[in-house]
Amino acid sequence: MEMNWAAAVDSIPILNKAALLTLELTAGAVAIGLVIGLFMALARLSKLKIVRALAIAYIDFFRGTPLLVQIFLVYFLVPRLLHWDTLPDNYQYLAGVLAMGLNSGAYIAEIFRAGIQSIDRGQTEAARSLGMNQSQSLRYVVLPQAFKRVIPPLGNEFIALLKDSSLLSIIAIQELFYSGKIIAGRTFQPIPMYLTVALYYLLMTQLISQWVAYMERRMGKNDLR
Amino acid sequence: MIYVKNLYKSYGKLEVLKGINCHISEQEVVVVIGPSGSGKSTFLRCLNKLEEATSGEIIVDGIVLNSEANVNAVRREVGMVFQRFNLFPHMTALQNVVLAPEIVRKTPKKEAETIGLELLAKVGLSDKADEYPDRLSGGQQQRVAIARALAMKPKIMLFDETTSALDPEMVGEVLAVMKDLAREGMTMVVVTHEMGFAREVGDRVIFMDEGIIMEEGEPNEVFAHPKNSRTQAFLSKIL
Repeated sequence: MEMNWAAAVDSIPILNKAALLTLELTAGAVAIGLVIGLFMALARLSKLKIVRALAIAYIDFFRGTPLLVQIFLVYFLVPRLLHWDTLPDNYQYLAGVLAMGLNSGAYIAEIFRAGIQSIDRGQTEAARSLGMNQSQSLRYVVLPQAFKRVIPPLGNEFIALLKDSSLLSIIAIQELFYSGKIIAGRTFQPIPMYLTVALYYLLMTQLISQWVAYMERRMGKNDLR
Repeated sequence: MIYVKNLYKSYGKLEVLKGINCHISEQEVVVVIGPSGSGKSTFLRCLNKLEEATSGEIIVDGIVLNSEANVNAVRREVGMVFQRFNLFPHMTALQNVVLAPEIVRKTPKKEAETIGLELLAKVGLSDKADEYPDRLSGGQQQRVAIARALAMKPKIMLFDETTSALDPEMVGEVLAVMKDLAREGMTMVVVTHEMGFAREVGDRVIFMDEGIIMEEGEPNEVFAHPKNSRTQAFLSKIL
């Protein structure tokens, strides 16, 4: 069969739309993941054994099982837990973003934990000796410094998440990979289509790594430590 | 002002403090000396509960150090300066100084900054208010750390080997600030290896070894005529 790039070129408007959806899904998952990650990291460092154990169980589960399985689990579990008889329109987007957010929350928790633990104990001691309570010293002293240090590993996590969003095609979300696959099947031009899709992913991951590098430069300016 | 009764502290099997009793009065400058590992830093850090005592009682300014609320109350009244400065590296000198007054004492920003600038002037660093710690020398950082502690208007200041991490030429500028404070009547507990400072500024010197107070007294007396053989051995090595 002859390679024909016309189909790929024709599909650019559709792919643009699909790529935008991929970015939106990733952004949604990042937002959920950051919130869960922060709380799980703090829980993981809690003095209370039970809180710590719950956080470890959460992290172990979401890191230790495939995202693909988690996507299906969330997709089928949520309606059951909420006693929905019929699924709302576009339910797959909700399930997809939620599954990815829950998953990345586990990874981000470990990134935050490492960042918090990397801050010298003297910083907390200085804050506490000035009369700040634990949450004040976390908020004003430890976390701002930890955030700077976790930017590079967070960037990695965002890139991984963006690529993993292609797994959402399995629950019929028309993100980038799904759209490429449909067009490839319809036009019988898999190679140009998948190369084009790969290029789209590459451009988006490059965008993220450039942004991360910029943030690192900007925040690192006043801090040689 | 500070009462310590039967203070014990162990790390696992290692007993670091073995029954410390002492009383420190208002406006007194007490200098704690002793060999490394004698427990003097641990003792100091128990006074604002950065270290949890294994047993014993500590009362600071009438407040018993026994509950979380009391500990926070005491820490507001007790400033501490550390060997390794522990300035907040993501904040300027001035921001370091005003942070605690703003969020702990709820001092309005304007007022806190006015006080902060006065304190930086007091330690001779008016021109460094907007510098970040990594742009300051060790001696300058330590003076900012002193200003930061003073910003909480403490009644007592604890100094934990504050000149030990400094290059020799910077020791003097930090000691000068500490001397000023002593002259102004601040109650101070100073762990140090600077015997000159102890002799000049100290009202009382405490010699610690192996987790107990071996000897204490008026500095000139202790330095000139140490009674305890441990004190004699220690002083003969360093004087």
